[in-house]
Amino acid sequence: MTHFSYKNYIIPIFLQLTITGFGMLFTDALGMVNMALIHLIPVLVIAVYGDMKATMLITTISVILFDVLYVPPKCSFSVHDLLYVWSFILFYAVGYIITFQAIRLRSNAIKDILLNTLSHDLKTPLASILGNAAILLKEKSISEADKEEIAHQIKRSGIQMNRLIQTLLDSARIQNSKAFMRYEWCDIQDIIGIALQEFNRDDKGIRIEIDHDLPLYWGDEALLIRLMVNLIDNAMKYSGYSSSPIRISVTMQTSEIIITVFNPSDPIPKTDLRDMFEKFYRLDSAGDIKGSGIGLSICKEIVDAHNGHIEAYNAEGGIEVRVALPIEKLYTSNKEYLS
Amino acid sequence: MTKDLVLIVEDDPAISKMLHYILKQDGYKCIISENLKNALRTFQTHNPEIILLDLGLPDGDGKSFIKTVRKETTIPIIIVSARHDEHEIVAALDAGADDYVIKPFSDIELSARIRSAQRRSIGVSPSHDTIVCGDIILEHDALVAYKKGVALNLTPTEFNLLKYFMTHPNQVLTHANVLKEVWGVGYQNEMHYLRTFVNSLRKKIEDDSSRPHYIVTQMRVGYRFNCENEKL
Repeated sequence: MTHFSYKNYIIPIFLQLTITGFGMLFTDALGMVNMALIHLIPVLVIAVYGDMKATMLITTISVILFDVLYVPPKCSFSVHDLLYVWSFILFYAVGYIITFQAIRLRSNAIKDILLNTLSHDLKTPLASILGNAAILLKEKSISEADKEEIAHQIKRSGIQMNRLIQTLLDSARIQNSKAFMRYEWCDIQDIIGIALQEFNRDDKGIRIEIDHDLPLYWGDEALLIRLMVNLIDNAMKYSGYSSSPIRISVTMQTSEIIITVFNPSDPIPKTDLRDMFEKFYRLDSAGDIKGSGIGLSICKEIVDAHNGHIEAYNAEGGIEVRVALPIEKLYTSNKEYLS
Repeated sequence: MTKDLVLIVEDDPAISKMLHYILKQDGYKCIISENLKNALRTFQTHNPEIILLDLGLPDGDGKSFIKTVRKETTIPIIIVSARHDEHEIVAALDAGADDYVIKPFSDIELSARIRSAQRRSIGVSPSHDTIVCGDIILEHDALVAYKKGVALNLTPTEFNLLKYFMTHPNQVLTHANVLKEVWGVGYQNEMHYLRTFVNSLRKKIEDDSSRPHYIVTQMRVGYRFNCENEKL
């Protein structure tokens, strides 16, 4: 779901002011009914692409302007004719209904994309599993070495499917509601350790630097593990055949914990760096690299859920993803119990 | 080793067949039950040496089954579970299960779990004054631990935590359990103590504390202390 930012309020508010100015010039010519309809326009605009909160805010502005400027007595909040109170209620009702319907349509569109991407990303490894298993069953004359290679491929595809399913489950948990977040005191170093376990023995080329006195962090452990798994997975996929290592660093700043993941790569255009975290986005140059583009978008969701910030930029000899997690609850250990 | 009999309680034939195959390779005999009712009967008639128990069975909760078995014997019970029900796993461990594997798991993982659970039930007495695990030596009475022959500078709590881990090697220790045993009754929910101390202990005993070899985290469940040199 698109995250609605404050920028999006600018257009309806601007529209609102234009309409009000226009309305004040032609009040007499247009009459009260048309004035009311004109004031519904900003409500309709915001309702189509905003969330409920935004719609209610713009509706309130519309109602206030309409009341103060046109409803007699003018330039006052009071209303002589109670009939207008019904108009105000209708403003809210229209805003509510359109927003509700628009959100429903948008989430259907997202479901469509999700289904398409999913069926592709799950079916590819599944095809590999089924195909390779069929070869093992049918061909009697395969060499032991080939058999082993085929079996390994089946296993790799299975691991890939498992990782995607896990990512989706966590993604569903965030999207459902932030209330599903399970906050607890997390040891970031432990989280990185658990994430590395998912890559078995492939992680030897990763260098890790963690501030020695990093305090515990108040966050959702399972989601933060998923964040690290996806960042590491991504760094591995896009490192290509470079021999220089992936570097992970965790540092503590005054009010944030900063996690960076660096992987060697050619520079990436700025627009791509920005769009990387959008759902289902993949670099044009990604070619045959396996992945769904779900990985980095869930990273953004996880970081957003912790009110943090994620960005990617070109660094020397590669790209770096930087995650800033604000410390919303500072860990103060109770030293008496802790010796 | 004699061919121990394993009771597999699993309703999905694809999984039970695979378990059967893995266990057969390791030299075990197997008997499969598809539900708890059947499992209980098989347990009473066949006296298995090990039980593998799936938590999501059609006829109910595995916990009562674990409790029933525990009333009669201490044989290893290993939970086979799907993800996302850590509460169930912890509850099953509390009810008396020895260990767990999460689907999907590897054959190596499963074999290792069964072996270490068996080793425990046969009984390794941790009563010796000195315990050795890899390059770590812990001396109970002297209250000292060494790594590669060098004395570790441990705080009293760190020492007690390490002692608890080393006296319970290769088994899953739930958070609540470690907190109760090391900090005392009433501290079962103080997870952050555990997180802080595991972190500082790792810095002292692990070669690379981001890739811990000894104290391995069992996500949302607890910890496992790896001790591979222990002989049967």
